[in-house]
Amino acid sequence: MRKNKSMIFWFCLPAVLSLLIMFVYPVCRTVLMSFFQVESVTSGVGEWRFNGLANYIKIFGSQTFRISMKNMLLIWLVGGVITLALAMLMAVVITSGIRGKKFFRAAIYMPNIISAVALATMWIQYIFNYDYGLLNSVVRLLGGDKVKWLGSDMKFWAMTAAFIFGSVGYYMLIYISGIEGIPQDLYEAATIDGAGQIKKFTRITMPLLTGVIRTSITFWSINTTSFFLWTKMFSPIDTEEYTIVPVVYLYDIVFGGKGVATRDAGAGAAVGVVLTLIIIAVYLIVNRLIKKSDLEY
Amino acid sequence: MNNINWKKELRLLPCYLIVCVWVVFTAIMIFWILAASLSTSREIFSGEVHKFATGFHWENYATAWRVQNVSLFFRNSLLYSVLSCVGVLAISAPAAYVLARWEFTGGRALRIGLVIAMSVPIIMIIMPIYSLAVRWGIKGWVLLVVLYILMRVPYTTIYLLDFFATLSRTYEEAAYIDGCSASKTFLKIMLPLVQPAIITVTIFNFMSVWNEFFMALVFTTNEDMTPVGVGLLNIINSMKYTGNYGGMFAAVIIVFLPTFLLYIFMSEKIIAGVTGGGVKG
Repeated sequence: MRKNKSMIFWFCLPAVLSLLIMFVYPVCRTVLMSFFQVESVTSGVGEWRFNGLANYIKIFGSQTFRISMKNMLLIWLVGGVITLALAMLMAVVITSGIRGKKFFRAAIYMPNIISAVALATMWIQYIFNYDYGLLNSVVRLLGGDKVKWLGSDMKFWAMTAAFIFGSVGYYMLIYISGIEGIPQDLYEAATIDGAGQIKKFTRITMPLLTGVIRTSITFWSINTTSFFLWTKMFSPIDTEEYTIVPVVYLYDIVFGGKGVATRDAGAGAAVGVVLTLIIIAVYLIVNRLIKKSDLEY
Repeated sequence: MNNINWKKELRLLPCYLIVCVWVVFTAIMIFWILAASLSTSREIFSGEVHKFATGFHWENYATAWRVQNVSLFFRNSLLYSVLSCVGVLAISAPAAYVLARWEFTGGRALRIGLVIAMSVPIIMIIMPIYSLAVRWGIKGWVLLVVLYILMRVPYTTIYLLDFFATLSRTYEEAAYIDGCSASKTFLKIMLPLVQPAIITVTIFNFMSVWNEFFMALVFTTNEDMTPVGVGLLNIINSMKYTGNYGGMFAAVIIVFLPTFLLYIFMSEKIIAGVTGGGVKG
């Protein structure tokens, strides 16, 4: 087939421009902006004043930002362990040869495709509701006292639980496709050798899934650093320290929120850069720690 | 294989229990919301939404749709989703085709750039985009449509690229011999051949735009351009004053339904698409 240079050029041009306008230019400008004092997002480069690492010093000196980082870390670690463990459990269960596999798989993945605003509302207005909520109905049925699930001390974990529920399905699908890639004869051989379900899981499934688990940890990290919607839903009007995460902190100082006296786009950019560096660091660490399996199949 | 192997099913009992608990919980949640959307606030608070003692209150939907402006949010979201799905294909499909077919200067760089762009956090781009939009004077729903299109270009291009790569070159060779021009070959022959991939990627783009929240919140300045997600948040925030719980749950159902119905009919395709793309160990 002849190479048609002008066709290649015109066919690629829109995609190249999209990439430049939407990704390359903004990322470069955000990185640059994080080293300058910039008050308003709309300030032109002419109004920027270089101030070195002052934005970074400012955000790490801010207690609100430190709390938001602590919350994010908790969601990443606790939420991550629970989500990935549940996803693995569901994946193993669904590939165990049960009937209605397709139905269960589709039902568990379902929360991922509906509007997260609607899903969060279901949790806040029904599951966690104090007066008529599902959890309190169960508590009362068991003879306990109603619990303020959305009170200050429980709110963070209520939010994390709802977030976990919405996330499990996606990681489950990743694990299912990993498990289905493992040849069946390995399991058959193990059965003949007398291995039980648990042994098969720890000796065959887990070792052969290291690559997939690595991918899922990276995805989870990207997912938690962009955590925003759930906080906005659980603390819709005012940002609260129980639920604040870095992106909400950024949103408040850049676009204005309650309790923010002066807007600071430079500091916002610094938050963005810090989060991006975290993602890159996690990616590198995970790749180093979890070596791709040498096992061939 | 008509006989049920009871021994095997019994051994799998714990497995059934685990998934059933999860699914039943999900079902209870959705059915309760559905029941609450047809009840009065008083019934909701007394915990009797499943009895429908005063009948089905369809007027909750009417209130949500007209008074609470869900019809407007719905129209906006539909507009954003449909326009951006079409727009992104116009940009991505040609690029995916030439990237899959020919090696050329910058082709590799473009491909890598697209893959990296897929995992760039939105917070790294939102601020410059905001100032760019203000400087160029782009606002209203046009702005969000443009942003959604640009946002979906990397994923769509990479997804279609993998499909174009699987097509045999004999189609183009035959078209060339018959004197069909290269761009016409693309439009009339190659594009219809990747139709399944286009459908899958469009479903994903549709759901992603329908459910998008962050950019919508940042760029939405008035009700005329508010999509469903931000609109629902506004309805919930004003609940304190209206006290119309039934109406709010009706709004939740209206927002929830489009992607849910899409999923009911196409769950196999959607699930295959989730892991079919770049997810590899």
